Amino acid sequence: MRSIDIHAHIAPLAASHLPEGQTWHGFTRQEMNGRQFLVQGDKRQWLHPAYSLNADERIAYMDSVDVDVQVLTTWVGMYNYDLPGDVGAGIARECNDYVAELTRSHPERFSGMATLPMQDVNAAVAELERAVNELGLKGAQIADHVNNKTLDHEDFLPFWSAAEELGALIFFHQEGDDTIVKPRDTKGWAIDNSIGNLSDRVVTFATLVFGGVLDRFPDLKVCLAHGGGFTCFGAGRLDRGWQVRSEARELGANIPSTYLDKVYYDCLTHSEPVLRYMIDTAGIDRIFLGSDYPYDMGIDEPTAWVNSLESLTQDEKDAILWKNLERVLGV
Amino acid sequence: MRSIDMHAHISPEGYIRAVEAGEEWYGISGMSHEFHLAVPRTMWTPEQRLTDMDSLGVDVHVLSTNAVFYCYDRDANTVAAMDRECNDYVSQLTRDHPDRFAGLAALPMQDVAASATELERAMTQLGLKGAMIDDSVNGKTYDDPEFFPVWEVAEQTGAVVLIHQGMQTVVGERSTRYHLPNTIGNLVERAITYASFVFGGVMDKYPDLRICLSHGGGYTCFGAGRMDRGWQVRSEARVNLNKPPSTYLNQFWYDCLTHSEPALRMLIDSVGIDKVVFGTDWPFDMQIDWPVSWVLGLESLTQDEKEAILYKNLENLLGI
Repeated sequence: MRSIDIHAHIAPLAASHLPEGQTWHGFTRQEMNGRQFLVQGDKRQWLHPAYSLNADERIAYMDSVDVDVQVLTTWVGMYNYDLPGDVGAGIARECNDYVAELTRSHPERFSGMATLPMQDVNAAVAELERAVNELGLKGAQIADHVNNKTLDHEDFLPFWSAAEELGALIFFHQEGDDTIVKPRDTKGWAIDNSIGNLSDRVVTFATLVFGGVLDRFPDLKVCLAHGGGFTCFGAGRLDRGWQVRSEARELGANIPSTYLDKVYYDCLTHSEPVLRYMIDTAGIDRIFLGSDYPYDMGIDEPTAWVNSLESLTQDEKDAILWKNLERVLGV
Repeated sequence: MRSIDMHAHISPEGYIRAVEAGEEWYGISGMSHEFHLAVPRTMWTPEQRLTDMDSLGVDVHVLSTNAVFYCYDRDANTVAAMDRECNDYVSQLTRDHPDRFAGLAALPMQDVAASATELERAMTQLGLKGAMIDDSVNGKTYDDPEFFPVWEVAEQTGAVVLIHQGMQTVVGERSTRYHLPNTIGNLVERAITYASFVFGGVMDKYPDLRICLSHGGGYTCFGAGRMDRGWQVRSEARVNLNKPPSTYLNQFWYDCLTHSEPALRMLIDSVGIDKVVFGTDWPFDMQIDWPVSWVLGLESLTQDEKEAILYKNLENLLGI
């Protein structure tokens, strides 16, 4: 049995080890309250300590939690969709080269996804083509919105067209705690993350469905992080909205719940009944292992967790742990 | 078998008459007229409503004044006066038709003291069963100690507080298309409200508070696992809370308005069958069309569960 983790983040060592006083794509490294940040203007991106690990140290961690393969995604702090497109493109190229190098040096332990300068759709398409065709990456991770545009916006049609043609898997993941759920103050109980991530993901599902993206690009491979958020549970009300409101049907979408088995999800639910519900509504072939390494909101021991679930058959566990990703990504 | 609908809205007769006469009513007619014209049943008479209830097989509406009348951003004294008229009207209907109507109060939540006073009046003088309020009040959620006097009165009088969004939800800032501010937004708001009461320590401070989360509590029961993880690993989530948030799921009530049998089944399995009540969202398009038939037709529920939802739980909760 293998285990392949679709939801595992990384940052280039050039960023995490950036010497004091030097700049990297306009960022400097600063320490605040014992944490390392990349800083540029008003932006402050927290560098998780795990991003200082080299490949061997990361693999030692993976061994300790029985994860055979991480599908590496550059950490969302490198989205930087608000920066000029050429700056974003430069960051993306360096991050993607770094991930690609790890997949080449450790092909049995790492696969990889690209990060893209989505603020410049042409540049994003060019980098996705390079990442898949030249670097051997499997797709890309993008945010639920690009400067507040959801991904059904017509600007992104060339991106979806390219992703479909390349067979690239597009993995949706919010940037940090930038979600529609805003804490009123610093004691926001982490619901900007715990409720917000899940809310953003269902908005993404809904905009891809109602916006006609999944109809227009039927071979598109989309994976929604955090178990797709509230998507599976909320499909009934989306269906009702589709039934009674013409604005939900204006772009020709079919009944929303019929798209649940057209996208993929990771298993990061922190709840066995929720994962069971996803399997029963979306289908067992749509769900991947995803841990959110190295963050505190991840699954501590993802392989052991899946194997411990009493409401799943062994076949279902195998599908989640490795078979689905083997099939979809060819890893 | 009875059926008691916790989620059924009404507009005050005084407002309808004013609109028909082309007159202002507490300064809100222009704003809300479009809302009413879009849904003609909002302007129906009580007799028309009763006929419709008969056709649906619904015995009792627990009437709540439409959310368009919240008006928390308007002058507090004006809204307090408007709410008194709304509540008097609902109360009159419950006296005229005690077998068919029970009622909830509208409250001017921008003025907490006035809201506490009006809730007390509604419970002790008008015979209402509680109140319906928005998920937030001018950007403030219900963990804010400012609102504690309302919970105090609610707890003392046994009022049921039905939570129901107003005209906007947090989804609007991301997308206003495809009806998403409603179809996703209502459900996000309800999870935020659950979190506000629980993480904010309100449920510990007022353990007998009876909160009913409409729209099946939104995404609450499905999202409880991740809220628990947040509580486990983030110190800011534990400021007011010393046990996991999911342990409070069975301290709230939820209506059955999920538009999904598996979602309702999961709700029952997460919160307990005694906490799920019948709620239809009459008279709006996002309602359950044939609600009694819908519940009775659900194959994954036992007959006892169907009866608990259709009337027994609300008989117990509201004493009707």
